[in-house]
Amino acid sequence: MPKQKLNPLPSAAFQIMLALAGRDLHGYGMMRQVVKQTDGRIRPGPGTLYRSIQALLDAKLIEEMEPREDASLGNERRRYYRLTSAGRKLARSEAERLADLLRVARSRKILRGEYV
Amino acid sequence: MSEKIYAWLLRLYPSRFRETYGDEALQLFRDRSRDERGFVPRLRLWFDLVADFALSMPREYFRVQPKLVSYSAHLRSDGVPSFFALTDEPLGSGALFFGSVLSVAALITFSVLLNHGVKHVPLSALLRPTQGAADSRSSAFSPPAQQAATYNGEEGTIWSAARRQPRTAISPSPQTSAMARNFQIDAPPLPESAEPVQQQSRGAASSLHVEVKLGATERHHVVEAAATILEKNYIDRDNAQKMADALRAHEKSGDDDAATAGAAFAALLTHQMREVSPDRHLTLDYSETPLPQHPLEPTPEGLARYREALKQQNCTFEKVEILPHNIGYVKLNSFPDVSVCQRTAESAMTSVNGANLLIFDLRENRGGEPSMVAFMAAYLFDHPEYLYNPRENTTERSWTRSPVPGNRLADKPAYVLTSARTFSGAEQFCYDLKMLKRVTLVGETTGGAAHSGVWHRIDDHFGMGIPETKAINPFSKSDWAEVGVEPGVKVRAGDALETAVKLAESKLPRK
Repeated sequence: MPKQKLNPLPSAAFQIMLALAGRDLHGYGMMRQVVKQTDGRIRPGPGTLYRSIQALLDAKLIEEMEPREDASLGNERRRYYRLTSAGRKLARSEAERLADLLRVARSRKILRGEYV
Repeated sequence: MSEKIYAWLLRLYPSRFRETYGDEALQLFRDRSRDERGFVPRLRLWFDLVADFALSMPREYFRVQPKLVSYSAHLRSDGVPSFFALTDEPLGSGALFFGSVLSVAALITFSVLLNHGVKHVPLSALLRPTQGAADSRSSAFSPPAQQAATYNGEEGTIWSAARRQPRTAISPSPQTSAMARNFQIDAPPLPESAEPVQQQSRGAASSLHVEVKLGATERHHVVEAAATILEKNYIDRDNAQKMADALRAHEKSGDDDAATAGAAFAALLTHQMREVSPDRHLTLDYSETPLPQHPLEPTPEGLARYREALKQQNCTFEKVEILPHNIGYVKLNSFPDVSVCQRTAESAMTSVNGANLLIFDLRENRGGEPSMVAFMAAYLFDHPEYLYNPRENTTERSWTRSPVPGNRLADKPAYVLTSARTFSGAEQFCYDLKMLKRVTLVGETTGGAAHSGVWHRIDDHFGMGIPETKAINPFSKSDWAEVGVEPGVKVRAGDALETAVKLAESKLPRK
């Protein structure tokens, strides 16, 4: 499969890493979490989702776990993924980079708001 | 339905993606379909999928594979070739285009060479030092006509030489068999005295035929002959007359004038007939290779060879086993003549009689005798059941002879494994049992050979197949002719057994 570049980190890949920061998830779980954390603005389809997962796996930012069932979704076994320590580190630095950007935006009066 | 559409869309992704994430993508689709019900959520789901497909699919193809560079570095400089499987490399559109052009060119070259270019000497002519040796070899390499008439190993279709009807289904020659194999051959032998003269003139005509375009006279001859055959033999007299009239009217009004090539003319006439009566079993065909003069009747010697061949092959029961979980597995590669193979069939079915569940493997079954189809199907019922067979009129023989004494399989679940090479009688088995909801078909859509017409020779190059029987189909308007029988569980033929066993295991009570 062609490799996807992760530098700069694409938004879908970053969202997946953020989704996995909370707990280990399978593909559909990730998709639901991403939808939730972006208020429905990003709804990754299967192609984008698994392409990003593959890229993150290749870069060892996430890792695959033993397949298991998700009791809430029936008895099919699903592949679960979790964030590696390198992945957590990269997600943090990406978040910090974005926070820096945000600070600059605020100082330039482009963005207003109480939070972050 | 929508899952099928999405599965089809997934097939457009590169194979590596499908292999790694195909199942999960489908699973994700199922999850979302389950959770997102209602018109708006469903619309949003499809919008997401189509957008995702449009964005991610081209990216999967058009990224250059960096691994290629490292592979090329592996090539050794001393001239010794080394091979690496570059399965990750995406195929460029240019490569696909040139590959297609090359394949088409190769195909055309071969077909031209085979049909025209080289005057070849048959292999059998080179290998004929003595008469006796030739005889023995003929059974091994090129079966004599009578043997081919009854057991056509290449086509795998077994027809009974001892059919009750006077007609015999045969494959007249390898070249014409493809065309005629769907039909029973029915052309009365010509008078002996007339034959050499006719053969000569037909021979000359046939050599001209290949090179010369069809003229009005030839077309008229074919149209007239086809119309006469229809009027005489087609099952539905009213439609027969209408079709014959239509053929003549089209010829008169000059509709046929443009068709100067044999195949195009044959297709045009088929179309004209089907316009009147949309009957897929009705066809007019063109063969560049001259068609044989008359069918070859089986001889007692050929019959004996047929029986011997069947016995040697255990009547094509390739495997009869009890698999784990007490699953009875019967791999049957044809439906041979009951009069020869009744005992073998009985003993095969007896040996799986205690099974909890049955799997019939028909993936390599090219068809055979309807009587054997009914014989085998009888084990699956506890009462006589009607089996539709487009080749024969509906009679009392159309019912299974159920219940079979001592049989314990009538109420056991059954699976039938199919492939695209499951043909004819095997398709009848699949079709009827599927329609009766007695079995679950697992595998690929079958070949679509209904074998339900009778073949009439018009001249050296034209012939037509027309239905002359009318069987009652209580299940559906159409049968499996040309379209095949679609399995309930669609998987690659190679995976069918594994899938069926898994399904079976889930069905059987756990101990």
